[in-house]
Amino acid sequence: MEKLKALIEKLAAGGVEFVVVGGYAAVAHGASLLTRDVDICCRFSVENLRRLVRTLDEFHPKHRMTPQKLPLELTDEFAARLKNLYLDTDLGVLDCLSEVLGVGDFDEVLRQSIEINTPSGKCRVLSRDALIRAKETMGRTQDKLAVIQLKAIQERLLADAAPRDR
Amino acid sequence: MPDEAFIEQLNRGYVCPPDAGPAWRAAAVAGIDLSLIELSLAKTPWERWVEHDDALSFSLQLRDSVSKHYGEA
Repeated sequence: MEKLKALIEKLAAGGVEFVVVGGYAAVAHGASLLTRDVDICCRFSVENLRRLVRTLDEFHPKHRMTPQKLPLELTDEFAARLKNLYLDTDLGVLDCLSEVLGVGDFDEVLRQSIEINTPSGKCRVLSRDALIRAKETMGRTQDKLAVIQLKAIQERLLADAAPRDR
Repeated sequence: MPDEAFIEQLNRGYVCPPDAGPAWRAAAVAGIDLSLIELSLAKTPWERWVEHDDALSFSLQLRDSVSKHYGEA
């Protein structure tokens, strides 16, 4: 059973500074996509990465891209040199990015995010506009399909929000 | 008894509403099933994630079943 949403709840409850980006953010905005992982942009400070590791510890995080699937362990020196973390956990696949192409670093991603409600609290998701820009910059086939959907959603929601002549 | 026009509409699939904008129409031309988007927009972001995870779990179960059928697992 995939529990990607549970990953997000755990990270939020663990006090990790993060913004949901990528395909899972597109789903939050209404796109009809299926994605295998959760992409988050998070602050790559030693303190925040410590919170991330502490939160994920019970879910046995491993470095997904290493052939040996090494467990996630963090030293201050290691943390200071990291830019991305590609993890597999008991709850599903989690990619942690320090910046988003087409948007910027964590502070910029945070500035261009919105807050949404979850049953256990609030979390932040990249805004629709910023997500479209990021996916246009990435430019892969899957991103182009997401952009088509997100632009249609954006147009529909803006039209619904606009005052109409009676 | 439904009339011919209604049956024709059902057989044609998704029809853009008359007030659909260019991006919505472009998505329809690209083959996106916009009825799924309409259903999704009626939900909260969290409800969309719940539905997504259920769909992903089901698709992975199907994949495993197909792999087993062909003796690939």
